[in-house]
Amino acid sequence: MRPPLGDDAFDQLLTYARLDLTAERKQGAAGGFAAVLALLDSLESVELGETPPATAFDASWE
Amino acid sequence: MKPYQLTIADAAGKIRARELSPVELVQSALDRIEAVDGKLHAFVLVTGERALEAAQLAEKEIADGRYRGPLHGIPIGIKDLYDVAGLPTTSSSQVRQDFLAAQDSACVSRLTDAGAIIVGKTHTHEFAYGVITPTTRNPWKIDHIPGGSSGGSGAAVASGECLMGMGSDTGGSIRVPASLCGTVGLKPTYGRVSRHGVTSLCWSLDHVGPLTRDVRDAAMVLNAIAGFDPRDDATARLPVPDYTEALDEGVRGRTVGVPSNFFFDDIDPAVEEAVRTAVEQLESQGVSVREVQIPYADQMLALEYGLVVPEATSYHQAMLRERGEHYTDEVRTFLEAGELVLATSYLRVLRIRTLVKRAFREMFEDIDAIVCPTVPATAARVGQESFTFPSGAQTSVTEAYVRHSAPANLTGLPALTVPCGFDATGLPVGLQIIGRPFDEPTVLRLGHAYESATDWSSRRPDL
Repeated sequence: MRPPLGDDAFDQLLTYARLDLTAERKQGAAGGFAAVLALLDSLESVELGETPPATAFDASWE
Repeated sequence: MKPYQLTIADAAGKIRARELSPVELVQSALDRIEAVDGKLHAFVLVTGERALEAAQLAEKEIADGRYRGPLHGIPIGIKDLYDVAGLPTTSSSQVRQDFLAAQDSACVSRLTDAGAIIVGKTHTHEFAYGVITPTTRNPWKIDHIPGGSSGGSGAAVASGECLMGMGSDTGGSIRVPASLCGTVGLKPTYGRVSRHGVTSLCWSLDHVGPLTRDVRDAAMVLNAIAGFDPRDDATARLPVPDYTEALDEGVRGRTVGVPSNFFFDDIDPAVEEAVRTAVEQLESQGVSVREVQIPYADQMLALEYGLVVPEATSYHQAMLRERGEHYTDEVRTFLEAGELVLATSYLRVLRIRTLVKRAFREMFEDIDAIVCPTVPATAARVGQESFTFPSGAQTSVTEAYVRHSAPANLTGLPALTVPCGFDATGLPVGLQIIGRPFDEPTVLRLGHAYESATDWSSRRPDL
């Protein structure tokens, strides 16, 4: 599991993502981010091997 | 029976036989909107004058022998994510209050070419990012939600405000409101119907399709809207069959899978009973039933959110920076969270999606479709935050509804919901039928066979 973000690190992350939030909004964003991160982290146990992503670029013009 | 209470098939039969005029039918729908929408708030915008002009034109065309087909003169509602030329597309958000569509979306264009008449734009959960539709109420019990995000279309079709409502489905947004409002809802295969001109939530999961009173009506609408569109890269270059053709041919010899995991793990007993009784009904018509295991069940919700959250933020990035304060807090929080998701996390989701597709293909080797509950509980009360299931599990309303919907979004498989009963409080229950890719004919046939043997789809809320 990844280590939790401290307040300063979270502030830096928000700045890096160009999110200029009020203190109140920061709290909401932190909660939302934590929930999404927990979901994404739950996928780390899936073995992927050579599996490609479920996307394909279509080079045709028609 | 009043005209607004008819199915599309019945109304079309009467219009073609000149027993009912499009003007009479459209006026009946508009009168119904006038009578009940003050309670339901299904519509963002009612286009009465424009609809009546179109109905007069349809009446003249039909009188002149230029009948266009079964949608000619039929009043429909369009979810307010779809562009309709000359009308606002607000996506039920303050962020888009000033957006006026210059062109019709692909579906609107195909539907109006087929003669359908738009009576208004229906409410969505803001930008389709949610399954509640807080603006709108459920016609069966006014203090309950209609579901979402196509909640306006669900409430409008169930209450007779229009004969069909278009929806979009990224995590259940056609099937959830259809199930909660007691209508039929069809999420076609990913790539079957063009999404051009429909505000995106998540490109890799967005589907568009109809909410109707019965399965035949859904098939008729699919006939009009399906097909390749070069403006939507996801659409498939596959022929479009007549989806009504084999509806009455029965289902004897078909095999359906009933999941032994996931769909019945945390569920309201009344919903489970209605669905299991529906499976028995299909069995009595000669359908073989097998038990199946849903693969990657534990990952479904994470995969759904893992795609929606970053893709939605990508779509909204400029608007979030320019006018973030105009979003509702709930949607804004998810959009902000999406800015912080790593690209490698997103790609992990896409790679697991490949595995999920392979595993579903294997599961479908000896079945024609999966039958299961559309959602695990009937419509939540307005303001209700969670369900507590008999297992003791407490699940948020949103998570409960999205969870059952996610498999068909992630796999892109066609999924239909058909009414299959009511709970003790009088709220509808939906049966979900998920088929093989582009096998809408089998999904519709199973749904029609079940529906024809029961009377659930013909019941109407008493408003």
